[in-house]
Amino acid sequence: MRRLRVPDLGGAQATILHRPHATVQALVRQLSAIGLRAEAHWPDLPASALGADFVFFDMDMGHDEQFPWKPGQAPMPMIALIGSEAPGRVEWALGMGADAQLLKPVGDSGVYSALLIARTGFETRRALAAEIDGLRSRLSERQTVIRAVTILSAGQDDEAAYAELRRLAMSWRVTIEEAAARVVARGEGLNVRRRPS
Amino acid sequence: MRRIQLGLLFSRSGSYRLISEACRLGALRGIEEVNADPAFGLSLVPVERDPGGEVDAYPPLCAEILAAGAQHVVGCVTSWSRKEIIPTLERMGGILWYPCPYEGFEASSQVVYTHACPNQHLVPLLRWAFPRFGRRGFLTGSNYIWGWEMNRVARDIIGEADGDVLAERYLAMGDTDVSRMVAEIRTTRPDFVLNNLIGASSYAFLDAMARENLRVPILSCNLTECELPALGEAAEDLISAGPYFRDGEGPGSSFEAAAHAAVWFLARRLACDPEAPLDRLLSLPGDDLAIDPTTHHATLPVVIAQVEGEAFRVRERWDAVPPDPYLARRDRFMRPRPQLAVVAP
Repeated sequence: MRRLRVPDLGGAQATILHRPHATVQALVRQLSAIGLRAEAHWPDLPASALGADFVFFDMDMGHDEQFPWKPGQAPMPMIALIGSEAPGRVEWALGMGADAQLLKPVGDSGVYSALLIARTGFETRRALAAEIDGLRSRLSERQTVIRAVTILSAGQDDEAAYAELRRLAMSWRVTIEEAAARVVARGEGLNVRRRPS
Repeated sequence: MRRIQLGLLFSRSGSYRLISEACRLGALRGIEEVNADPAFGLSLVPVERDPGGEVDAYPPLCAEILAAGAQHVVGCVTSWSRKEIIPTLERMGGILWYPCPYEGFEASSQVVYTHACPNQHLVPLLRWAFPRFGRRGFLTGSNYIWGWEMNRVARDIIGEADGDVLAERYLAMGDTDVSRMVAEIRTTRPDFVLNNLIGASSYAFLDAMARENLRVPILSCNLTECELPALGEAAEDLISAGPYFRDGEGPGSSFEAAAHAAVWFLARRLACDPEAPLDRLLSLPGDDLAIDPTTHHATLPVVIAQVEGEAFRVRERWDAVPPDPYLARRDRFMRPRPQLAVVAP
Protein backbone atom coordinates (compact mmCIF):
# COMPACT_ATOMS: atom_id res chain seq x y z
CA MET A 1 0.00 0.00 0.00
CA ARG A 2 1.32 3.40 -0.92
CA ARG A 3 1.79 5.66 2.10
CA LEU A 4 -0.03 8.94 1.93
CA ARG A 5 2.24 11.69 3.09
CA VAL A 6 0.28 14.39 4.91
CA PRO A 7 0.71 17.37 2.62
CA ASP A 8 1.75 20.73 3.93
CA LEU A 9 -1.48 22.58 3.17
CA GLY A 10 -0.67 25.70 5.16
CA GLY A 11 -1.05 28.78 2.99
CA ALA A 12 -2.26 26.79 -0.03
CA GLN A 13 -4.80 28.64 -2.18
CA ALA A 14 -8.25 27.18 -2.75
CA THR A 15 -10.53 28.78 -5.32
CA ILE A 16 -14.25 28.09 -5.21
CA LEU A 17 -16.51 28.43 -8.23
CA HIS A 18 -20.00 28.65 -6.77
CA ARG A 19 -22.70 31.26 -6.46
CA PRO A 20 -22.88 32.99 -3.04
CA HIS A 21 -24.45 30.36 -0.80
CA ALA A 22 -24.26 28.75 2.65
CA THR A 23 -22.25 25.95 1.01
CA VAL A 24 -19.51 28.44 0.19
CA GLN A 25 -19.45 29.70 3.79
CA ALA A 26 -19.22 26.16 5.17
CA LEU A 27 -16.49 25.36 2.69
CA VAL A 28 -14.48 28.49 3.53
CA ARG A 29 -14.81 27.72 7.24
CA GLN A 30 -13.41 24.23 6.81
CA LEU A 31 -10.65 25.38 4.45
CA SER A 32 -9.58 28.15 6.87
CA ALA A 33 -9.56 25.72 9.78
CA ILE A 34 -7.28 23.40 7.82
CA GLY A 35 -5.00 26.35 7.03
CA LEU A 36 -5.77 27.21 3.39
CA ARG A 37 -6.61 30.59 1.94
CA ALA A 38 -9.94 30.49 0.15
CA GLU A 39 -11.75 32.76 -2.28
CA ALA A 40 -15.01 32.32 -4.13
CA HIS A 41 -15.93 33.42 -7.66
CA TRP A 42 -19.14 33.44 -9.69
CA PRO A 43 -20.11 33.18 -12.49
CA ASP A 44 -16.60 32.72 -13.95
CA LEU A 45 -13.14 31.86 -12.74
CA PRO A 46 -10.69 34.69 -13.43
CA ALA A 47 -7.36 33.90 -15.08
CA SER A 48 -5.77 34.26 -11.64
CA ALA A 49 -7.44 30.95 -10.75
CA LEU A 50 -4.65 29.33 -12.76
CA GLY A 51 -2.43 29.94 -9.74
CA ALA A 52 -4.73 28.13 -7.31
CA ASP A 53 -3.59 24.91 -5.62
CA PHE A 54 -7.13 23.48 -5.53
CA VAL A 55 -10.38 24.36 -7.30
CA PHE A 56 -13.82 23.51 -5.93
CA PHE A 57 -16.52 23.87 -8.58
CA ASP A 58 -20.28 23.70 -8.66
CA MET A 59 -21.45 20.68 -10.59
CA ASP A 60 -25.13 21.70 -10.63
CA MET A 61 -24.91 24.94 -12.59
CA GLY A 62 -21.43 24.64 -14.06
CA HIS A 63 -20.43 24.72 -17.72
CA ASP A 64 -17.21 24.63 -19.73
CA GLU A 65 -16.97 28.36 -20.39
CA GLN A 66 -16.60 29.22 -16.71
CA PHE A 67 -13.03 27.94 -16.63
CA PRO A 68 -9.87 29.56 -18.03
CA TRP A 69 -8.74 26.13 -19.30
CA LYS A 70 -10.15 23.42 -21.55
CA PRO A 71 -12.15 20.52 -20.06
CA GLY A 72 -9.84 17.97 -18.51
CA GLN A 73 -6.82 20.26 -18.62
CA ALA A 74 -6.98 21.90 -15.21
CA PRO A 75 -3.44 22.45 -13.93
CA MET A 76 -4.48 21.65 -10.35
CA PRO A 77 -6.65 19.11 -8.47
CA MET A 78 -10.38 19.80 -8.85
CA ILE A 79 -13.19 18.92 -6.48
CA ALA A 80 -16.80 18.80 -7.67
CA LEU A 81 -19.55 20.19 -5.40
CA ILE A 82 -22.50 17.94 -6.05
CA GLY A 83 -26.12 18.86 -5.36
CA SER A 84 -28.23 16.71 -7.65
CA GLU A 85 -26.57 13.42 -8.48
CA ALA A 86 -27.80 13.36 -12.07
CA PRO A 87 -25.74 11.18 -14.42
CA GLY A 88 -25.36 13.95 -17.01
CA ARG A 89 -23.94 16.29 -14.40
CA VAL A 90 -21.58 13.64 -13.04
CA GLU A 91 -20.44 13.01 -16.60
CA TRP A 92 -19.76 16.71 -17.10
CA ALA A 93 -17.82 16.95 -13.82
CA LEU A 94 -15.71 13.95 -14.79
CA GLY A 95 -15.08 15.56 -18.17
CA MET A 96 -13.87 18.71 -16.41
CA GLY A 97 -11.42 16.52 -14.53
CA ALA A 98 -12.91 16.19 -11.05
CA ASP A 99 -10.45 14.32 -8.83
CA ALA A 100 -12.79 14.16 -5.82
CA GLN A 101 -16.25 15.27 -4.83
CA LEU A 102 -18.19 16.76 -1.93
CA LEU A 103 -21.93 16.41 -1.55
CA LYS A 104 -23.98 19.53 -0.89
CA PRO A 105 -25.03 20.81 1.53
CA VAL A 106 -21.46 20.98 2.77
CA GLY A 107 -21.51 20.69 6.55
CA ASP A 108 -18.80 20.36 9.08
CA SER A 109 -16.56 17.74 7.53
CA GLY A 110 -15.43 16.17 4.31
CA VAL A 111 -13.13 18.89 2.98
CA TYR A 112 -9.89 17.50 4.39
CA SER A 113 -10.32 14.05 2.89
CA ALA A 114 -11.49 15.58 -0.41
CA LEU A 115 -8.27 17.65 -0.54
CA LEU A 116 -6.10 14.61 0.11
CA ILE A 117 -7.92 12.36 -2.34
CA ALA A 118 -8.00 15.04 -5.05
CA ARG A 119 -4.32 15.82 -4.68
CA THR A 120 -3.29 12.17 -4.76
CA GLY A 121 -5.57 11.42 -7.72
CA PHE A 122 -4.34 14.46 -9.62
CA GLU A 123 -0.68 13.64 -9.07
CA THR A 124 -1.20 10.02 -10.06
CA ARG A 125 -3.06 11.09 -13.18
CA ARG A 126 -0.37 13.57 -14.13
CA ALA A 127 2.46 11.08 -13.55
CA LEU A 128 0.66 8.46 -15.65
CA ALA A 129 0.00 10.97 -18.43
CA ALA A 130 3.69 11.90 -18.54
CA GLU A 131 4.66 8.23 -18.63
CA ILE A 132 2.16 7.52 -21.41
CA ASP A 133 3.46 10.49 -23.42
CA GLY A 134 6.97 9.11 -23.11
CA LEU A 135 5.91 5.62 -24.15
CA ARG A 136 3.89 6.97 -27.09
CA SER A 137 6.77 8.98 -28.42
CA ARG A 138 9.07 5.97 -28.08
CA LEU A 139 6.50 3.87 -29.88
CA SER A 140 6.25 6.34 -32.73
CA GLU A 141 10.03 6.25 -33.13
CA ARG A 142 10.12 2.48 -33.70
CA GLN A 143 10.45 3.00 -37.44
CA THR A 144 13.44 5.32 -36.91
CA VAL A 145 15.14 2.77 -34.63
CA ILE A 146 14.71 0.04 -37.26
CA ARG A 147 16.18 2.30 -39.93
CA ALA A 148 19.12 3.23 -37.70
CA VAL A 149 19.87 -0.43 -36.92
CA THR A 150 19.69 -1.18 -40.63
CA ILE A 151 22.18 1.59 -41.38
CA LEU A 152 24.54 0.46 -38.60
CA SER A 153 24.32 -3.21 -39.53
CA ALA A 154 26.40 -2.68 -42.63
CA GLY A 155 29.10 -5.32 -42.22
CA GLN A 156 27.75 -6.74 -38.93
CA ASP A 157 24.67 -8.54 -37.64
CA ASP A 158 21.56 -6.85 -36.25
CA GLU A 159 22.41 -7.53 -32.62
CA ALA A 160 25.81 -5.93 -32.94
CA ALA A 161 24.19 -3.02 -34.77
CA TYR A 162 21.68 -2.52 -31.96
CA ALA A 163 24.48 -2.71 -29.39
CA GLU A 164 26.31 -0.06 -31.41
CA LEU A 165 23.19 2.16 -31.34
CA ARG A 166 22.95 1.76 -27.55
CA ARG A 167 26.60 2.64 -27.17
CA LEU A 168 26.09 5.79 -29.27
CA ALA A 169 23.01 6.77 -27.23
CA MET A 170 24.99 6.37 -24.01
CA SER A 171 27.98 8.32 -25.23
CA TRP A 172 25.71 11.11 -26.53
CA ARG A 173 23.62 10.90 -23.34
CA VAL A 174 20.35 10.72 -25.25
CA THR A 175 17.58 8.14 -25.58
CA ILE A 176 17.86 5.26 -28.04
CA GLU A 177 15.18 6.93 -30.15
CA GLU A 178 17.04 10.24 -30.24
CA ALA A 179 20.30 8.48 -31.13
CA ALA A 180 18.49 6.56 -33.85
CA ALA A 181 17.18 9.82 -35.31
CA ARG A 182 20.75 11.20 -35.44
CA VAL A 183 22.11 8.04 -37.04
CA VAL A 184 19.38 8.12 -39.64
CA ALA A 185 19.97 11.82 -40.39
CA ARG A 186 23.72 11.26 -40.67
CA GLY A 187 23.45 7.95 -42.49
CA GLU A 188 21.11 9.20 -45.14
CA GLY A 189 23.19 12.35 -45.56
CA LEU A 190 26.28 10.22 -46.22
CA ASN A 191 24.28 7.84 -48.36
CA VAL A 192 25.90 4.80 -46.76
CA ARG A 193 25.64 1.49 -48.45
CA ARG A 194 22.41 -0.33 -47.72
CA ARG A 195 21.95 -4.02 -47.71
CA PRO A 196 19.68 -5.19 -50.50
CA SER A 197 16.16 -5.50 -49.21
CA MET B 1 -29.64 34.53 39.60
CA ARG B 2 -29.71 32.92 36.19
CA ARG B 3 -29.54 29.12 36.20
CA ILE B 4 -27.67 27.55 33.33
CA GLN B 5 -27.49 23.80 32.91
CA LEU B 6 -24.08 22.41 32.04
CA GLY B 7 -23.64 18.83 30.84
CA LEU B 8 -20.92 16.53 32.17
CA LEU B 9 -20.24 13.37 30.16
CA PHE B 10 -17.38 11.45 31.74
CA SER B 11 -16.92 7.73 32.34
CA ARG B 12 -16.49 6.98 36.03
CA SER B 13 -15.46 3.39 35.38
CA GLY B 14 -13.57 1.60 32.62
CA SER B 15 -10.03 1.56 31.31
CA TYR B 16 -9.36 5.31 31.21
CA ARG B 17 -11.24 6.12 34.44
CA LEU B 18 -8.36 8.04 36.06
CA ILE B 19 -8.27 10.57 33.23
CA SER B 20 -12.07 10.91 33.21
CA GLU B 21 -12.11 11.51 36.94
CA ALA B 22 -9.42 14.19 36.62
CA CYS B 23 -11.44 15.99 33.93
CA ARG B 24 -14.64 15.65 35.94
CA LEU B 25 -12.94 17.00 39.05
CA GLY B 26 -11.70 20.06 37.13
CA ALA B 27 -15.16 20.74 35.70
CA LEU B 28 -16.92 20.32 39.06
CA ARG B 29 -14.39 22.57 40.78
CA GLY B 30 -14.95 25.18 38.08
CA ILE B 31 -18.71 24.96 38.56
CA GLU B 32 -18.33 25.29 42.33
CA GLU B 33 -16.11 28.38 41.99
CA VAL B 34 -18.41 30.05 39.48
CA ASN B 35 -21.44 29.39 41.67
CA ALA B 36 -19.66 30.77 44.73
CA ASP B 37 -18.68 33.98 42.95
CA PRO B 38 -21.51 36.54 42.86
CA ALA B 39 -19.70 38.50 40.16
CA PHE B 40 -20.83 35.92 37.59
CA GLY B 41 -24.49 36.41 38.43
CA LEU B 42 -25.24 32.89 37.30
CA SER B 43 -25.61 29.45 38.73
CA LEU B 44 -24.28 26.47 36.79
CA VAL B 45 -26.33 23.33 37.31
CA PRO B 46 -24.50 20.13 36.36
CA VAL B 47 -26.44 17.59 34.30
CA GLU B 48 -24.33 14.49 34.60
CA ARG B 49 -24.30 11.15 32.76
CA ASP B 50 -21.80 8.30 33.12
CA PRO B 51 -21.20 6.17 29.99
CA GLY B 52 -19.05 3.77 32.05
CA GLY B 53 -16.35 3.57 29.39
CA GLU B 54 -18.78 2.06 26.83
CA VAL B 55 -18.41 3.95 23.57
CA ASP B 56 -21.95 3.14 22.38
CA ALA B 57 -23.41 4.67 25.53
CA TYR B 58 -22.06 8.13 24.70
CA PRO B 59 -24.46 9.29 21.94
CA PRO B 60 -27.73 8.45 23.77
CA LEU B 61 -26.45 9.90 27.06
CA CYS B 62 -25.27 13.03 25.26
CA ALA B 63 -28.75 13.31 23.74
CA GLU B 64 -30.27 12.96 27.23
CA ILE B 65 -28.14 15.81 28.55
CA LEU B 66 -29.10 18.08 25.64
CA ALA B 67 -32.77 17.11 25.93
CA ALA B 68 -32.65 18.03 29.62
CA GLY B 69 -31.92 21.61 28.58
CA ALA B 70 -28.15 21.91 28.61
CA GLN B 71 -26.56 23.34 25.47
CA HIS B 72 -22.94 22.99 26.56
CA VAL B 73 -21.35 19.71 27.59
CA VAL B 74 -17.90 19.20 29.10
CA GLY B 75 -16.93 15.64 28.35
CA CYS B 76 -15.29 12.73 26.57
CA VAL B 77 -11.78 11.39 26.98
CA THR B 78 -11.19 9.19 23.94
CA SER B 79 -11.39 10.49 20.39
CA TRP B 80 -13.59 7.53 19.59
CA SER B 81 -16.26 8.72 22.02
CA ARG B 82 -15.91 12.32 20.85
CA LYS B 83 -16.39 11.36 17.21
CA GLU B 84 -19.37 9.21 18.19
CA ILE B 85 -21.27 12.12 19.74
CA ILE B 86 -20.56 14.78 17.09
CA PRO B 87 -23.61 13.76 14.97
CA THR B 88 -25.79 14.08 18.10
CA LEU B 89 -24.33 17.52 18.84
CA GLU B 90 -24.96 18.61 15.24
CA ARG B 91 -28.53 17.35 15.25
CA MET B 92 -29.46 18.89 18.60
CA GLY B 93 -27.32 22.03 18.47
CA GLY B 94 -25.11 21.05 21.40
CA ILE B 95 -21.51 22.14 22.02
CA LEU B 96 -18.85 19.83 23.44
CA TRP B 97 -15.98 21.27 25.48
CA TYR B 98 -13.31 18.62 25.07
CA PRO B 99 -10.56 18.75 27.73
CA CYS B 100 -8.09 16.08 26.51
CA PRO B 101 -5.12 15.98 24.17
CA TYR B 102 -5.99 14.33 20.88
CA GLU B 103 -4.47 13.40 17.53
CA GLY B 104 -5.69 16.42 15.53
CA PHE B 105 -7.21 16.50 12.02
CA GLU B 106 -10.59 17.68 13.22
CA ALA B 107 -12.21 21.09 13.62
CA SER B 108 -15.89 20.51 14.31
CA SER B 109 -18.06 23.58 14.60
CA GLN B 110 -19.77 21.82 17.55
CA VAL B 111 -16.59 21.18 19.56
CA VAL B 112 -14.20 23.42 21.48
CA TYR B 113 -10.82 21.78 22.07
CA THR B 114 -9.25 23.08 25.30
CA HIS B 115 -6.30 20.66 25.52
CA ALA B 116 -3.43 20.16 23.09
CA CYS B 117 -3.30 18.94 19.47
CA PRO B 118 -0.18 17.38 17.85
CA ASN B 119 1.73 20.59 17.11
CA GLN B 120 1.39 21.25 20.85
CA HIS B 121 2.48 17.81 22.06
CA LEU B 122 3.85 15.22 19.62
CA VAL B 123 5.74 17.46 17.20
CA PRO B 124 7.68 19.42 19.85
CA LEU B 125 8.23 16.27 21.92
CA LEU B 126 9.88 14.38 19.05
CA ARG B 127 11.92 17.36 17.93
CA TRP B 128 13.11 17.76 21.49
CA ALA B 129 13.91 14.06 21.77
CA PHE B 130 15.86 13.55 18.50
CA PRO B 131 19.05 15.43 19.43
CA ARG B 132 19.00 13.97 22.94
CA PHE B 133 18.22 10.30 22.36
CA GLY B 134 18.44 9.65 18.63
CA ARG B 135 16.00 9.03 15.80
CA ARG B 136 15.35 5.31 15.95
CA GLY B 137 11.87 5.05 17.40
CA PHE B 138 9.65 2.16 18.49
CA LEU B 139 5.98 3.15 18.25
CA THR B 140 3.25 1.66 20.42
CA GLY B 141 -0.42 2.46 20.71
CA SER B 142 -3.90 1.39 21.69
CA ASN B 143 -5.81 0.04 18.74
CA TYR B 144 -8.02 3.02 17.90
CA ILE B 145 -7.70 6.40 16.28
CA TRP B 146 -5.47 8.03 18.93
CA GLY B 147 -2.79 5.34 18.58
CA TRP B 148 -3.09 5.06 14.80
CA GLU B 149 -2.95 8.75 13.97
CA MET B 150 -0.34 9.67 16.59
CA ASN B 151 1.96 6.98 15.26
CA ARG B 152 1.25 8.02 11.71
CA VAL B 153 2.28 11.61 12.44
CA ALA B 154 5.30 10.28 14.38
CA ARG B 155 6.28 8.23 11.32
CA ASP B 156 6.13 11.34 9.15
CA ILE B 157 8.22 13.39 11.57
CA ILE B 158 10.78 10.61 12.09
CA GLY B 159 10.94 10.12 8.32
CA GLU B 160 11.46 13.82 7.69
CA ALA B 161 14.33 13.75 10.17
CA ASP B 162 15.91 10.74 8.38
CA GLY B 163 15.25 8.54 11.38
CA ASP B 164 13.95 4.98 11.51
CA VAL B 165 10.72 3.47 12.79
CA LEU B 166 11.83 0.10 14.13
CA ALA B 167 8.28 -1.16 14.68
CA GLU B 168 4.71 -0.03 15.20
CA ARG B 169 2.75 -2.24 17.62
CA TYR B 170 -0.81 -2.07 18.90
CA LEU B 171 -2.85 -3.54 21.73
CA ALA B 172 -6.63 -3.59 21.98
CA MET B 173 -7.98 -1.12 24.54
CA GLY B 174 -7.74 -2.79 27.96
CA ASP B 175 -5.38 -5.57 26.75
CA THR B 176 -2.48 -6.01 29.17
CA ASP B 177 -0.49 -8.72 27.39
CA VAL B 178 2.59 -6.61 26.70
CA SER B 179 5.24 -9.35 26.75
CA ARG B 180 5.73 -9.48 22.99
CA MET B 181 6.05 -5.71 22.69
CA VAL B 182 8.63 -5.61 25.48
CA ALA B 183 10.56 -8.53 23.96
CA GLU B 184 10.73 -6.69 20.63
CA ILE B 185 12.03 -3.57 22.33
CA ARG B 186 14.63 -5.66 24.15
CA THR B 187 15.75 -7.06 20.79
CA THR B 188 15.62 -3.91 18.65
CA ARG B 189 17.08 -1.51 21.23
CA PRO B 190 15.43 1.68 19.95
CA ASP B 191 16.67 5.16 20.87
CA PHE B 192 13.22 5.87 22.30
CA VAL B 193 9.74 4.38 22.65
CA LEU B 194 6.65 6.44 21.85
CA ASN B 195 3.88 5.25 24.15
CA ASN B 196 0.41 5.88 22.74
CA LEU B 197 -1.17 3.12 24.79
CA ILE B 198 -3.92 4.24 27.12
CA GLY B 199 -5.24 3.13 30.50
CA ALA B 200 -4.60 -0.43 31.68
CA SER B 201 -2.49 -1.33 28.61
CA SER B 202 -0.23 1.61 29.25
CA TYR B 203 0.17 0.78 32.95
CA ALA B 204 1.03 -2.85 32.17
CA PHE B 205 3.50 -1.80 29.49
CA LEU B 206 5.27 0.79 31.63
CA ASP B 207 5.44 -1.61 34.54
CA ALA B 208 6.97 -4.33 32.35
CA MET B 209 9.44 -1.86 30.85
CA ALA B 210 10.50 -0.69 34.31
CA ARG B 211 11.09 -4.30 35.39
CA GLU B 212 13.15 -4.97 32.25
CA ASN B 213 15.32 -1.98 33.13
CA LEU B 214 16.28 -1.39 29.48
CA ARG B 215 17.03 2.30 30.00
CA VAL B 216 15.16 3.27 26.84
CA PRO B 217 13.50 6.70 27.13
CA ILE B 218 9.69 6.41 26.96
CA LEU B 219 7.76 9.37 25.58
CA SER B 220 4.03 10.07 25.97
CA CYS B 221 1.67 12.86 25.01
CA ASN B 222 -1.06 12.06 27.50
CA LEU B 223 0.74 11.01 30.68
CA THR B 224 -0.01 13.35 33.57
CA GLU B 225 -0.04 13.41 37.36
CA CYS B 226 -3.50 11.83 37.41
CA GLU B 227 -2.10 8.45 36.32
CA LEU B 228 1.05 8.45 38.45
CA PRO B 229 -0.68 6.60 41.33
CA ALA B 230 -1.46 3.72 38.96
CA LEU B 231 2.17 3.49 37.91
CA GLY B 232 4.05 3.80 41.19
CA GLU B 233 7.79 3.44 40.73
CA ALA B 234 7.36 2.44 37.09
CA ALA B 235 6.69 6.11 36.35
CA GLU B 236 10.23 7.16 37.17
CA ASP B 237 12.07 8.79 34.21
CA LEU B 238 9.01 8.81 31.91
CA ILE B 239 8.86 11.85 29.64
CA SER B 240 5.64 13.58 28.72
CA ALA B 241 4.52 16.64 26.76
CA GLY B 242 1.53 18.72 27.78
CA PRO B 243 0.37 22.27 28.36
CA TYR B 244 0.81 22.12 32.12
CA PHE B 245 2.49 20.08 34.81
CA ARG B 246 1.83 20.59 38.48
CA ASP B 247 4.23 22.76 40.38
CA GLY B 248 3.09 22.95 43.99
CA GLU B 249 -0.24 24.78 43.89
CA GLY B 250 -2.84 24.64 41.15
CA PRO B 251 -4.80 21.90 39.39
CA GLY B 252 -3.64 18.31 39.87
CA SER B 253 -3.04 17.65 36.17
CA SER B 254 -3.47 19.20 32.73
CA PHE B 255 -6.72 17.22 32.28
CA GLU B 256 -8.15 18.82 35.39
CA ALA B 257 -6.79 22.22 34.30
CA ALA B 258 -8.27 21.97 30.78
CA ALA B 259 -11.75 21.04 32.05
CA HIS B 260 -11.56 23.73 34.71
CA ALA B 261 -10.47 26.35 32.15
CA ALA B 262 -13.34 25.32 29.85
CA VAL B 263 -15.93 25.93 32.59
CA TRP B 264 -14.42 29.29 33.49
CA PHE B 265 -14.13 30.39 29.89
CA LEU B 266 -17.73 29.45 29.24
CA ALA B 267 -19.08 30.99 32.47
CA ARG B 268 -17.32 34.30 31.93
CA ARG B 269 -18.83 34.68 28.50
CA LEU B 270 -22.28 33.33 29.38
CA ALA B 271 -22.30 35.94 32.14
CA CYS B 272 -22.02 38.62 29.41
CA ASP B 273 -24.46 37.02 27.00
CA PRO B 274 -26.30 33.90 28.25
CA GLU B 275 -28.01 33.23 24.91
CA ALA B 276 -24.99 33.72 22.67
CA PRO B 277 -24.28 31.12 19.99
CA LEU B 278 -20.80 29.63 20.02
CA ASP B 279 -19.29 31.94 17.37
CA ARG B 280 -20.33 34.94 19.44
CA LEU B 281 -19.13 33.35 22.70
CA LEU B 282 -15.73 32.76 21.19
CA SER B 283 -15.51 36.34 19.98
CA LEU B 284 -16.22 37.83 23.42
CA PRO B 285 -13.07 39.24 25.01
CA GLY B 286 -11.34 37.72 27.98
CA ASP B 287 -7.82 37.35 29.27
CA ASP B 288 -8.12 33.64 30.03
CA LEU B 289 -7.90 30.89 27.46
CA ALA B 290 -7.26 32.00 23.85
CA ILE B 291 -9.54 29.96 21.59
CA ASP B 292 -8.95 30.33 17.85
CA PRO B 293 -12.38 31.15 16.37
CA THR B 294 -11.51 29.37 13.11
CA THR B 295 -10.45 25.99 14.49
CA HIS B 296 -11.96 26.17 18.03
CA HIS B 297 -8.60 25.03 19.41
CA ALA B 298 -6.72 26.69 22.28
CA THR B 299 -3.38 28.46 22.19
CA LEU B 300 -1.40 26.72 24.92
CA PRO B 301 2.03 26.50 26.44
CA VAL B 302 4.03 23.43 25.49
CA VAL B 303 5.90 21.85 28.37
CA ILE B 304 8.13 18.80 28.23
CA ALA B 305 8.57 17.21 31.64
CA GLN B 306 10.12 14.09 33.14
CA VAL B 307 9.10 12.14 36.21
CA GLU B 308 11.72 12.42 38.91
CA GLY B 309 11.01 11.50 42.51
CA GLU B 310 7.27 10.91 41.82
CA ALA B 311 6.69 14.36 40.32
CA PHE B 312 7.14 15.94 36.89
CA ARG B 313 10.19 18.16 36.46
CA VAL B 314 10.07 20.63 33.59
CA ARG B 315 12.77 20.01 30.97
CA GLU B 316 11.68 22.50 28.30
CA ARG B 317 8.93 25.04 27.88
CA TRP B 318 7.50 27.17 25.07
CA ASP B 319 4.84 29.77 25.84
CA ALA B 320 1.68 30.38 23.84
CA VAL B 321 1.97 27.95 20.93
CA PRO B 322 -0.95 28.55 18.54
CA PRO B 323 -2.95 25.45 17.58
CA ASP B 324 -2.46 23.84 14.17
CA PRO B 325 -4.81 20.85 14.23
CA TYR B 326 -4.14 19.85 10.62
CA LEU B 327 -0.38 20.35 10.91
CA ALA B 328 -0.75 22.69 7.98
CA ARG B 329 1.80 25.15 9.30
CA ARG B 330 4.08 22.66 10.97
CA ASP B 331 7.30 24.20 9.75
CA ARG B 332 6.40 27.67 10.79
CA PHE B 333 6.14 26.80 14.46
CA MET B 334 8.34 24.78 16.71
CA ARG B 335 11.31 24.66 14.42
CA PRO B 336 14.06 23.00 16.40
CA ARG B 337 15.89 25.80 18.03
CA PRO B 338 19.51 26.07 16.98
CA GLN B 339 21.67 24.18 19.41
CA LEU B 340 23.99 26.81 20.78
CA ALA B 341 27.24 25.46 22.02
CA VAL B 342 30.05 27.13 23.82
CA VAL B 343 33.10 26.51 21.71
CA ALA B 344 36.35 26.38 23.56
CA PRO B 345 39.17 28.20 21.79
